[in-house]
Amino acid sequence: MSATTTAANPTAGYRTGFGDVVAGEWLKLRTVRSTFWTLVTLFAGSSAISLLICLAAADEFAKDKAAGKPDSGDIVLVGLLFVGQIAAYVLGVMTISAEYSTGGIRTSLTAVPRRVEILVAKAILLAVIVFVVGLATAFACFSLGDIPLRAKNVGVSMSDAGATRAIFGSALYLSGLSIFGLALGFLLRHTAGAITIGLSLIFIIGGLTQLIPGSFGKWLYKVMPGNAGGGITQFGETAKNAEKVFAPWTGFTVFVLEVLMLLIVGAILFEKRDA
Amino acid sequence: MIRAAGLTKRYGDQLAVDHADFTVEPGTVTGFLGPNGAGKSTTMRMILGLDYPTSGGVTVDGKPYRALPAPLREVGSLLDAKAVHGGRSAYNHLAYLAKSNRIPLKRVDDVIGLVGLEQVAKKRSKNFSLGMGQRLGIAAALLGDPGTLLFDEPVNGLDPEGILWVRNLMKSLAAQGRTVFVSSHLMSEMALTADRVIVIGRGQIKADTTMRDFIGQNATTHVRVRSPHAGKLHELMTGSGWRVEALPDDDGALQVFGVTSDAVGDLAGQNGLWVHELAVVQPSLEEAFMSMTADSVEYHAGMPAAGPAGVEAR
Repeated sequence: MSATTTAANPTAGYRTGFGDVVAGEWLKLRTVRSTFWTLVTLFAGSSAISLLICLAAADEFAKDKAAGKPDSGDIVLVGLLFVGQIAAYVLGVMTISAEYSTGGIRTSLTAVPRRVEILVAKAILLAVIVFVVGLATAFACFSLGDIPLRAKNVGVSMSDAGATRAIFGSALYLSGLSIFGLALGFLLRHTAGAITIGLSLIFIIGGLTQLIPGSFGKWLYKVMPGNAGGGITQFGETAKNAEKVFAPWTGFTVFVLEVLMLLIVGAILFEKRDA
Repeated sequence: MIRAAGLTKRYGDQLAVDHADFTVEPGTVTGFLGPNGAGKSTTMRMILGLDYPTSGGVTVDGKPYRALPAPLREVGSLLDAKAVHGGRSAYNHLAYLAKSNRIPLKRVDDVIGLVGLEQVAKKRSKNFSLGMGQRLGIAAALLGDPGTLLFDEPVNGLDPEGILWVRNLMKSLAAQGRTVFVSSHLMSEMALTADRVIVIGRGQIKADTTMRDFIGQNATTHVRVRSPHAGKLHELMTGSGWRVEALPDDDGALQVFGVTSDAVGDLAGQNGLWVHELAVVQPSLEEAFMSMTADSVEYHAGMPAAGPAGVEAR
């Protein structure tokens, strides 16, 4: 051990820019194991569930189709809407809440005191990573889910109405969900709290709003984030339920606006609160 | 240089820091002392832009922390050694800090070598001992080769060799002309390391002076004398108008204030009294600190004598 440090920094006087913040956040994101495992879970879990559910439902699906009952080809993407949604959301929450639970946020903020830059860098990186992995997962789900259906001659095809949109839409929706998680993570600064609130909003409360009578209940059901954003992942019969849900792109726009609103509130609080 | 002007932080109706004015000069090690809850950490967090002042402000080299163009190149800080994500390796922790301030990655290897963490640099930091965590925190502080350094309890958890190393490191950083601001509850350690001292009690700056003056003004030198004729000597000295205190738990040792050891020795000799020990006792920083902050300790221990109660223990 030596007690000396180097002489004056040769690059002193440099002003850090947003690119440096992104570079730092990127290194941060890829150097914790939870990121890797969450994304592996997203891909493998979603694909496996799509395959298993399609295997189990293939007979019924074929019978319904033969009987002329409304079917829905988007059953092939079902894994994404189960494991995928949870994984994307949790990854978003953890990206910031882990910094609060470990205390690492204080170190981050001494390195980058312009706090909003941290939030924006995290959001951009998450959105891109989850979109890419989400897209690969959607293709995998589609192909794997198609196998048992095809065996019963009721396979799905990319040329089915809305199928391509649903595949890209699934990636976009998961990407948006991760930002939703990030925003709630910034707001609550607590992993378990943010995960509980977000997932119950999407999986439980979103469905329960159907029980509220009248036009208010209908409207509320439509605008709940999971219902509004999830529409873009559907094709076949379920996508034709115009009475109940927004049209895919309309719903997704509503969802994105909701996420952005939460993110802006998160940014304001992040900026104003003591760390 | 760190300069605070009217720096105030209020939590509800509690004033954590109350109109603090002080300057931490470059080229010296400045100690930051205060009892538990006196506002040391809050002050350090405000310097680093983590907490916002209720009023007033604090600047580093003339700028608020958040206006520094590349903060890690200007200010290095160790606030809490545990403030790292334990799942990341020591190397990657330093690497992301380096990236965020565009510090060459070669510098990461340099500081890892400097603090002696080469063996564990690629290991996840959650399994680090307190001392290793402290070294990682110091490495992070030195990463940007900054002109100003803030250390909160830097020797916590270090072994004696590590403590000596930190002491020499801080002195050498100051000798290079850097501003070094360090808080510690280890008074003897501070007395050895710091040239200047800022004392805070109940959020108010109680002293901002040199270590020597602080001790000189807040605690007095006395003469310690031990004699088998303690009773007789006590009588004689009191008779000479000197202030004498018997040490309760000692074998005839007396403390005499306001006189030289020569005078005490002469008096004993003239009266034919044996003296087994005669010494001038320099006051410690701890005594000076206790006498100054006696009234501003947030939590008093229920002890009759002035023990180490109230001195920050973590």
